[in-house]
Amino acid sequence: MVGNLNSKISHLTAIRDLTEQEIVEILDYAKLIKQNPSHFLNRLNGRILALAFWEPSTRTRLSFETAMLRLGGSITGFSSSTGTSLEKGESLSDTITMLANYADGIVIRHPLRGSAKLAAKIAQKFRVPVISGGSGSQEHPTQALLDIFTIRECFGRLSGLNVALMGDLRYSRTISSLLLALSKFGKNTINLISHPSLRLQEDLRLDLKETNLELIETENITEVISDFDVLYVTRLQKERFPDPMLFQKVKGSYQLHSSLIKSAKDTSLILHPLPRVDEIPYEIDRLPQAKYFIQAKNGVYIRMAILDQLLGDDSVE
Amino acid sequence: MSNLEEKTKKELIVAKIDNGIVIDHITPPGRAFYALKALNIDENFPHSVFVAINLPSRKFGRKDILKIRNMNREDLNIKKLGLLISGSNIAYIKDYKIIEKEKIKIPKKISGLLKCPGLNCITSRQEDVETEFKVLDNHDPISLRCAYCDVIFNVHENISLML
Repeated sequence: MVGNLNSKISHLTAIRDLTEQEIVEILDYAKLIKQNPSHFLNRLNGRILALAFWEPSTRTRLSFETAMLRLGGSITGFSSSTGTSLEKGESLSDTITMLANYADGIVIRHPLRGSAKLAAKIAQKFRVPVISGGSGSQEHPTQALLDIFTIRECFGRLSGLNVALMGDLRYSRTISSLLLALSKFGKNTINLISHPSLRLQEDLRLDLKETNLELIETENITEVISDFDVLYVTRLQKERFPDPMLFQKVKGSYQLHSSLIKSAKDTSLILHPLPRVDEIPYEIDRLPQAKYFIQAKNGVYIRMAILDQLLGDDSVE
Repeated sequence: MSNLEEKTKKELIVAKIDNGIVIDHITPPGRAFYALKALNIDENFPHSVFVAINLPSRKFGRKDILKIRNMNREDLNIKKLGLLISGSNIAYIKDYKIIEKEKIKIPKKISGLLKCPGLNCITSRQEDVETEFKVLDNHDPISLRCAYCDVIFNVHENISLML
């Protein structure tokens, strides 16, 4: 089974572009890696992964690094424009062309939508795979894969679930990718809990209209607290609010507290893409439903599976 | 024929053109202005152009017609016209005779014909990239999705983005 995947993907830039089967193959492979990590130690010996991060990152960058190192490969790249020619205004096109000549694979995080797709188009000429680590507010596909990996690990399925999404649903790329991922797996009920100014983007809503997801809008978590199987919390960003006073006024409505979670099902999950600020207080960490650090750890297995699939000997060109 | 049509027919006397194109059945009326934009016809265009807006039509109720002298098939970007006046018919004229006819269809994909309206789209920056769009099925008016940033927009509301 090692490296013996059927999937023919050559880049991973968006969940939108993946089929249910391709997603399941990645999840199954990540599961295999998690069960037997020692079997995969030398899969990418001698391979180099370039990390091109135009934006700050902790988990995405470090878990890709960890994944590559655990597979026996090496890393190069940058994590900010400081000290690189990006400071001189070098374009994404030129930067990716250069990295495609240096490395066997590229992970890109960039503030603009479409950046990963352009990088993939450029690197395709060199047969170098590109993986998105986040493209503006558009998508964060590997985050969605580790999110649904965690959900499937706990429930054994990715359909028939009641999922509540809370916080910034408008500008969060993790929300977009998670919804697109869940939409590939049959019927799920999605409760959207947000301030009116941070509701889901219309374009995404239009896409989801064609799927089996049932979207339910609400402003208050108490309405769904006893029903959800998965509560996915995202950070509210002050700068997204037109008025700082409004942010101060409403932020409490999107924060969890342990007395609230007492009404939740014991079997439910609380997930967060992290980093958190104050939307999940530390006291919640000790509750059995809190799974966000396991979720973050699963990121390494998911990224190992993706790197192995795209950079490994059995990868399809 | 209704009295109105008969009356209009009597009043609208537009000469046949010797060479060029005739685009008929442009609906809804007013879309001929979009076609002129797509064909880059402005005050500097050197040949005769006949524009008829809001004519009575038995089939469509109202329609537009364009007659453009000395414009040939190779001068046209059919995909661009397909985005703006799909369903219209083009007749190619030579020596006053129709030598070929075709219906303008909606394209499935287009490249480089217009800019992306997405404010945060990578194609709006100084990059080595040509815009690409997928035409969405069953959208009236015609809507496009940017192949890069996924933004969805109505073509007719974004005519200024045409290149």
